[in-house]
Amino acid sequence: MADAPLIEQTAQAESGRSHVPAWRRWLIRARAYFLKEVNEIRRQPLLIMSLIVGPLLVLILFGATYVNSTPRVRTAVVLPPGGVPGLDEDQIRALIGLNFDLRAITTDRAGAEAQLAAGALDLVQIIPADATTALREGASPQIEFISNAINPLVEGWIQYLSYAEVNEINKAILRATAAQAQQEATGIRVRVEDAEGRVTDLERGVLEARAQAAQRDIREIRATLEALEQVLPSQEFLAAQGGESAQIRPTIERLKTNLERLDRAIAENKLAEALNEIAAAKNDLRLLNGSLQIFISTPPERLVSPVTRAYRNIRGGAYPAVVYYAPGVLALLVQHTAVTLGALALVRERLMGAFEVFRVAPVNLTQLILGKYLGYTVFIGLAALVLIVAMTLLGVPLLGNWLLFAALILLLIVASLGVGFLISALSGSDSQAIQLAMISLLLSIFFSGFFIALDSFAWPALIVAYAIPMTHGLAGFQDVMLRGIAPNLWTWAGLGLIAVITFALVVLITRRQLLKA
Amino acid sequence: MAGERLAILSEGVELDFGNGAGIFDQHYQVPEGSILGMIGPSGCGKTTTCRVALGLLVPQKGRITTLGRNPARFRAADRERIGYIPQQFVLYPRLSVAENAAFVASLYGMPARQVRSRLDELLAFVDLGDARHRLAQNLSGGMQRRLMLVGALMHDPVLLFADEPTAGIDPVLRARFWGYFRQLRDQGRTLVVTTQVVSEAVYCDYVAVMRKGRILAVDTPENLRRMALGGEIIDLTLKNPEDVHRALEVLKRWKDVVRAAHRSPDPDAEADIHVVVEDAREWLPEVLNRLENQKPRIGVESAAPVEVSYDEVFIKIMEQDQRLQEAAHG
Repeated sequence: MADAPLIEQTAQAESGRSHVPAWRRWLIRARAYFLKEVNEIRRQPLLIMSLIVGPLLVLILFGATYVNSTPRVRTAVVLPPGGVPGLDEDQIRALIGLNFDLRAITTDRAGAEAQLAAGALDLVQIIPADATTALREGASPQIEFISNAINPLVEGWIQYLSYAEVNEINKAILRATAAQAQQEATGIRVRVEDAEGRVTDLERGVLEARAQAAQRDIREIRATLEALEQVLPSQEFLAAQGGESAQIRPTIERLKTNLERLDRAIAENKLAEALNEIAAAKNDLRLLNGSLQIFISTPPERLVSPVTRAYRNIRGGAYPAVVYYAPGVLALLVQHTAVTLGALALVRERLMGAFEVFRVAPVNLTQLILGKYLGYTVFIGLAALVLIVAMTLLGVPLLGNWLLFAALILLLIVASLGVGFLISALSGSDSQAIQLAMISLLLSIFFSGFFIALDSFAWPALIVAYAIPMTHGLAGFQDVMLRGIAPNLWTWAGLGLIAVITFALVVLITRRQLLKA
Repeated sequence: MAGERLAILSEGVELDFGNGAGIFDQHYQVPEGSILGMIGPSGCGKTTTCRVALGLLVPQKGRITTLGRNPARFRAADRERIGYIPQQFVLYPRLSVAENAAFVASLYGMPARQVRSRLDELLAFVDLGDARHRLAQNLSGGMQRRLMLVGALMHDPVLLFADEPTAGIDPVLRARFWGYFRQLRDQGRTLVVTTQVVSEAVYCDYVAVMRKGRILAVDTPENLRRMALGGEIIDLTLKNPEDVHRALEVLKRWKDVVRAAHRSPDPDAEADIHVVVEDAREWLPEVLNRLENQKPRIGVESAAPVEVSYDEVFIKIMEQDQRLQEAAHG
């Protein structure tokens, strides 16, 4: 102790203190917390690695391995004994394999259902035995789809894909029916043309009072019309085509009535009336012939799908999944890092007794909170910068204004820190703070619109969703990065409100805790 | 203490937490440039007493001034003059020695340049110069205690509160700490140090003995010893053990000087007598003369003032208080 140097005298210290202006001392105190947080974080390389490199690796892995957004549904098709007439296994594979992962084609329904129950299959399709007969008789044969889905999203997909498959089958049937009808109508149309000539003969026969010959001609024309009616598709189908095709069956009906009246007029020897009917029949036959010509020359595909679609994305195309999810990953990283760091920021110091030291020292709560916010903001900002650079290398664009982007990140950090600090202020221990931070992460994944769109939720969930900083950050990042537009006002207002409210609550709660320290 | 400038003045301070916990009717003064040691068992109110003087707790009764002000109304300028070493370790394990000290200094508004020069002095003062860049988590318990002292002194306070700074450290380091404190006292600073180690009373200028929230006695260590024992003790060994009874009668009759005389509590020492007088060194020759002048003469083989340990003093004071409390409650 004898060699210990004499330390500075108190009077000198007093005079030294008075030379530092009060405003500078205020800043020095806030900076003390800032530097402390920065120094503590930079001494934890593993933490930095896990916070920055971890999410980046997850994003890269996701981008490299994500191949399909539709689920792979393992399916077995159960055919009736003897199969489906006119449909071989290859055709079945081609048709069903479009939407489903076809694992088996079998006639053993019980075996397929057992595999379904055991979880070896996701779906069993049962093709009805009498489909062709039922179709001919105008009934609607039913394909039975039996699934064992437990995931509601997968079940939704199965129902949609089943609908699409049945639609395709219906279209194929219609296509075949239409082609056959066109083929048969081609032969009948020759007879319709011939019928036009027979009507001229009929006129002549009526004028020459050859009633028997005229009535024979009428019968032949009627037989032609009935044959035509047999081969034509239903009126609903033809009506869907519109224009001339829609008029074919009504014209035939009109003609049949017309010929009936003519037959009666000849029998009753009413010459004038008969000639009028003949004139009308001539006209209708000409129309029918024209309509048939159009029906026959229309491609079957157009008959089945008269309306086609033209799709165009003004951006050229949607982004790959890895790019689309990148803003979400960035928002999640920023928020989770801020919440986790913030959650431990106050509780640790409170528990270690530092609050007592802070109360004795001439520092105030504003300096404490501001310094800590600033320290974490700088660190998280740098972490976000590293992630953005890495994302850019992965091809994630930043189409919008980078200043707006920077401002948005900053606001997201502050709002997320607010949530973290609030957790810290409310927590009684480190582990409780970490637990609450994890709950906030879970809430963010489910309710921020990251994987599930916000409009999938009922309104009470939306209150939770909009209280999560990431919800607004995600929407804003997608706007700025992927759409190249400025984030909307609600995004700024949402983040701003969260930041202000949480800051006020943190100040309020921490002030009470400091007074108790 | 009369006439001296006071760093702390406590008059009838009381803060009742209920169920017997708290501090009660505390009267004490701490003159500037002195060390007040607060000694008492765990839970006797030492920390609460410090916290009231620091303005962290507001008393329900009484009046207290610290550095001339009511501590509950301290301004930043007042707090800048006070240093505090809390009972708990408040060190950031991932910060280095220098960073921990700089952090505390910055809380007191010290600019970086001042921090650097001050840190050099203080690290040398507590022999931590070589550990400047070592992380706090890698320091031994004793080094952590010294670092806390550095932190508390960085802003050069005129009044330092140290709440059990020597708890859990070895006797050598404890002695070093008291060396630091006395050096700080010699430079004009005032220190309030709490401890459970009674023997540390010897290092203090004033000692407050505490029990159940009350200050039983506050005085210099020597005065406390006299108060506890009723004076100072002279240990006499007579040449002839058969003279013991006669010697005790002679001494007990000499009431102007001798406050008490009795056989030594040591049962093996047959010829030993303990004589209580106001000042052992002053009255020792007179006591010897008085015995030697008896007819027949009472021969004294050896005589010396007894150095009673502060532990015994402390126990005596506690026992006296216990008896008083029991008498008061019937």
